[in-house]
Amino acid sequence: MNSNAAIEVSNLIKIYKNAASPAVNDISLTINKGAIYGLLGPNGAGKTTTISMLCGLLKPSSGSGYVQGFNLNNQLEEIKKSIGVVPQEIALYPTLTAYENLQYIGNMYGLKGADLKQKIAEHLKIVGLDNVSNKRIETFSGGMKRRINLIAGILHTPKILFLDEPTVGVDVQSRNMITEHLHVLNKQGMTIVYTSHLMEEAENLCSDIAIIDTGKIITQGKPKELIQQHNCSNLEQLFLQLTGKKLRD
Amino acid sequence: MLRLLSTIRKELLILLRDRGGLAIMFLMPMAMITIMALIQDAPFKDYQEMKIPLLLVNNDTGSLGKSIEKGLIDSKIFEINKESIADDVVKQKVKAGDFEIGIIIPKNATTQLNKNVDLFVTKKLAAAGLGDSALSETATTEALNLSILFAPDTKKSFKISILNSLKQSTSKIETQTLLAFFSKELNKDSEQINKDEPLAEFVNFNEVTTIETPAEALQLNSVQHNVPAWTIFGIFFIVISMAGSIIKERDDGSFLRIRTMPGSFMTVLAGKITAYLFITIIQALLMLLVGMYLLPLLGLPKLIIGNSLLGIAIIIICTGLAATGFGVMVGTIFKTHQQSSTFGAVSVVILAALGGIWVPVYVMPESVRILSEFSPLYWSLSGFHKLFLNQGTVISILPYAGNSIFFAARLLPFYQKYSYLPLFILRRIKLTYLKKLKLQIK
Repeated sequence: MNSNAAIEVSNLIKIYKNAASPAVNDISLTINKGAIYGLLGPNGAGKTTTISMLCGLLKPSSGSGYVQGFNLNNQLEEIKKSIGVVPQEIALYPTLTAYENLQYIGNMYGLKGADLKQKIAEHLKIVGLDNVSNKRIETFSGGMKRRINLIAGILHTPKILFLDEPTVGVDVQSRNMITEHLHVLNKQGMTIVYTSHLMEEAENLCSDIAIIDTGKIITQGKPKELIQQHNCSNLEQLFLQLTGKKLRD
Repeated sequence: MLRLLSTIRKELLILLRDRGGLAIMFLMPMAMITIMALIQDAPFKDYQEMKIPLLLVNNDTGSLGKSIEKGLIDSKIFEINKESIADDVVKQKVKAGDFEIGIIIPKNATTQLNKNVDLFVTKKLAAAGLGDSALSETATTEALNLSILFAPDTKKSFKISILNSLKQSTSKIETQTLLAFFSKELNKDSEQINKDEPLAEFVNFNEVTTIETPAEALQLNSVQHNVPAWTIFGIFFIVISMAGSIIKERDDGSFLRIRTMPGSFMTVLAGKITAYLFITIIQALLMLLVGMYLLPLLGLPKLIIGNSLLGIAIIIICTGLAATGFGVMVGTIFKTHQQSSTFGAVSVVILAALGGIWVPVYVMPESVRILSEFSPLYWSLSGFHKLFLNQGTVISILPYAGNSIFFAARLLPFYQKYSYLPLFILRRIKLTYLKKLKLQIK
């Protein structure tokens, strides 16, 4: 395995039971440490299945890989200790306060006491929610919930952070705050794997991307290089050129 | 341990902030216990201590009327109202439900009985060559008819038992009269036997009691039945909250987030179960206190909880485990909260009906009683009855507690593996049931 790689997988295949075709079909990719890697694709392309396998949620039908140096097939516990996940859903408990939610998640990663309290306070301050830490999540706006959702994924300072559309449905200010914070985390050495339908955001945020469709990687590389290579003006144009304009839902 | 304690704390916070859920878990069973105990107080007394209202019209002035009346009073099961009214009025009153039973003893019933017996004795003696054969050939007996009226809703089995009791009473009078007439005919010159003299009892039935202490004399009354019954029902209603919590966690991505965290998933499950189990224990204790202190204030008997506090604790915990296990299964196999709450509520009501929560199992038909034994609510209720009514010990409730633990143990793994287990479990239940049914048939 490449010592500079945070994630390295080869020939990864996932076939769901009774499915006509594989959800992920022979994917090989390398994500370097410190990268912000965008996994882009239309609905049903296989992005979530790929991330689920990399997080240890799904077992690959075949193929091999390493996440932070741990084998994807038999070292899931070690992998889980090195990663953080920010799901697309607001995976928080609405009737608990922001602090109680983060306290619970911190405890689940083994954090406790003054250390946990300090980490929660720091993160809440960064995302501008330190003054509402004792308010219930159900009283928060969509943007505030998204920011707490992000903190829940990074509280334990993971080596690799997986984000599944972290800015969907939020206002411009909240989106800006989230992407800025992701840049800060990345500069601190955190590898970020990110999926999104927002091509402009991906183009600005990602150091590397892979465009995936029908379970296969169509192209991967640095966004600017890929745009130039295909004579496109931006990532969205490149995306449409490679995946087509046909509706997928 | 941190993960476990943190999960327990999180679940309890969520539960305590869900006011609707708390109302379902605490207020509903409290209301059910109070209402059902009050409603069922009368029917339970019907079976055990209430007297049946009876309207007696005794038009006879002789010994027969008096003997029947005395027999009815001595039975101590009737509340006798003696009136002198027309037959039609009696019919109207019984039909209207004012009385459960009406008995009309016709005028000159004693005279008619004596006449019939006299003729019968004369005929028998004439047949034996001891009397007037000419009289015996011409005279005929006229049947003496006592009228018994039952209210329209009287059960057949009840009618039969009352008729048998009355027949037994009148046949005794007939026999006494018969013997008196035979004695009179055979000993015309000797001292006459008094026909009112009671018959010697040749065969007696003595009820031998198995009760040795005053506590054992406790019968299944409305409170002794309803308090444990609705406590169990309330505990099982936690299925709805628990299933809802599982589905919500799955829908909002919390379940997924938890699965990406390091550590055993069983710790999270154990934390969830412990929190819900804690709630069920509080529920049960509260309900028992209602039975002991609130219901007596409403004029109902006080709940007697027996001697084994450890036994009560075991049954409560096992019931809670069975309920949470069931909640895990419901929350796992159903996709939406609507589906799970509908199924959860309906299935608990069905299991409650089968388990003897609504009406005691002993009044159910045999075929339903077989099904009852598969209801986890039946196991718990049987355990409570053992402790409360039979003064049972921990050992006596172990079979019921064991069933509940086994039930929970089979359902809890659903949380982690929920693709094939439901079918597997249902198949096992079906096989167990069929095996039991075959044994019953044999």
